[in-house]
Amino acid sequence: MKENAVKLVIESLKEAGVNTIVTLPDSKFKELYPALAADPYFRYIPVTNEGEGVAIAAGVMLGGRGAVMLMENSGLRVAIENLSRLGQTHEIPVFMIMSYIGDIGEKNWWGITHGLNMVSLLQAMHMPYIIVRKNDEVKDAIVRAKRHTAVSKYHVAVVLSGEVTE
Amino acid sequence: MKRFDCLKSLVPILSDEIAVISLGGQIDEWYHLRPSHKNMYIKGMGAVIPFAFGLSVALPHRKIICSDTDGSLLLNMGILATLGNERPKNLIVMILDNECYETIAKHPTHTSKNVDFTEMAKGAGIKNAFTVKTVSEFMDRMKRALTLNELSFIVLKLEPGSQAFPEEERKRSDGIEDKYNFVRYLEDSEGITIFPREVKSIRKIETEHNWDNTKL
Repeated sequence: MKENAVKLVIESLKEAGVNTIVTLPDSKFKELYPALAADPYFRYIPVTNEGEGVAIAAGVMLGGRGAVMLMENSGLRVAIENLSRLGQTHEIPVFMIMSYIGDIGEKNWWGITHGLNMVSLLQAMHMPYIIVRKNDEVKDAIVRAKRHTAVSKYHVAVVLSGEVTE
Repeated sequence: MKRFDCLKSLVPILSDEIAVISLGGQIDEWYHLRPSHKNMYIKGMGAVIPFAFGLSVALPHRKIICSDTDGSLLLNMGILATLGNERPKNLIVMILDNECYETIAKHPTHTSKNVDFTEMAKGAGIKNAFTVKTVSEFMDRMKRALTLNELSFIVLKLEPGSQAFPEEERKRSDGIEDKYNFVRYLEDSEGITIFPREVKSIRKIETEHNWDNTKL
C-alpha cells in the first residue's frame, strides 16, 4: 500500500469509530500494520488465526467498542465456522476488512482461488460486502460498512483491491 | 471432582463478574445456579475464550470469567499464545476438563492422554496457570484470581457427569435471546449503547405540508 492509502484507511477507521484492530498479517497490507500498531488511538491485537480473530472482534464489539478484523481474504475460509456461530446462532456481528487476493489481474497462480472462494463464501453466508478499488471510495465504504454491521447485527466486509492496495 | 460441585461453590462468591459460558452440560448448571443476564452463553467451540478476551478488552474495568471446556480449547489452541502475549488483567479462564466429549458418548479428548493444558499455558506466557483436582483447591485458586489484577488460567480436572434438572428448570432461551439479554444488561450497567436505536426520521422536511383532507 502507498502512504496515502495507509493514511486514508487509518482516517476512515477513526471516523467509523473503530479503535480496536484484530489482525493476522497479510502481504497486501504490510505497510498498514506498523502504522496502526504505532498509533496510540488503536488497541492493536495480533492473533494466531482468523477464526480466533473474528471471535475476539465479536467480543470487543459486544462490549461496546468498535473493532475490525483485518486479514487476507483467504482468512475467510478459516473463519467461516466462527462467523456462522457468532453471526447466525447469536446475531453478533463482526466488521471485516480484507485484501482481495485473486482479483481480476492477479499475478500469482495460487491467488486465483482466494478470490473465487471469497466471493462464493461471502454470498453463501449472505454477508454484505463492498469491493473498493479506488482511493476516493475508501472512507465512504468503511464508514458505511461499520455502521451497517451494528444496525444489521450481521457481518459486513470491505474488500480492498486496485489502487488501494498497490 | 464434579463440575456441579465446583460451580455450586463458586457462584455464591460472585457479584458483578461477567461469565462467558461454553457448551454442553454446564449450560443448565450455570443457569440453575446463577440465573443472570451477567451470563453470556456462547454456542461455538473454539470461539468462547477469544470472545471472552474481546469482552475483557472492551470492558477493562470489569472482571470476566470464561468457563470453557477441554474440547473447545483443543479446537483453537492458538488463543493460549494470544493470551500469553496480551495478558488481559481482568480475565479468568476456567477450563472444565472432563477429558472427553461427554455429549458424544464420552469419546476421549486429547487431555485424557498426554496433553497438559496448564503446562501449555505456561509455555505460552500465561504466568498464573494452575491445575486443580479438588473443590477446595479450585476455590482457593478462584478466590485469589478474583482479587488478583492479572490473567488467571485454571484447569479443573473433572469426572464426567452432569446434574439433571426437570425440563421446566432448564435454560429455555436461544442464542439470540441470550445475546439481547446480555447486551441490555451491559447497556444498562455501563450506561452505553451497543446497538443503535432506530432513526426517528431519515430526512427532515424544511417546511411542513398542510394536508387538505377533503382531497384525499
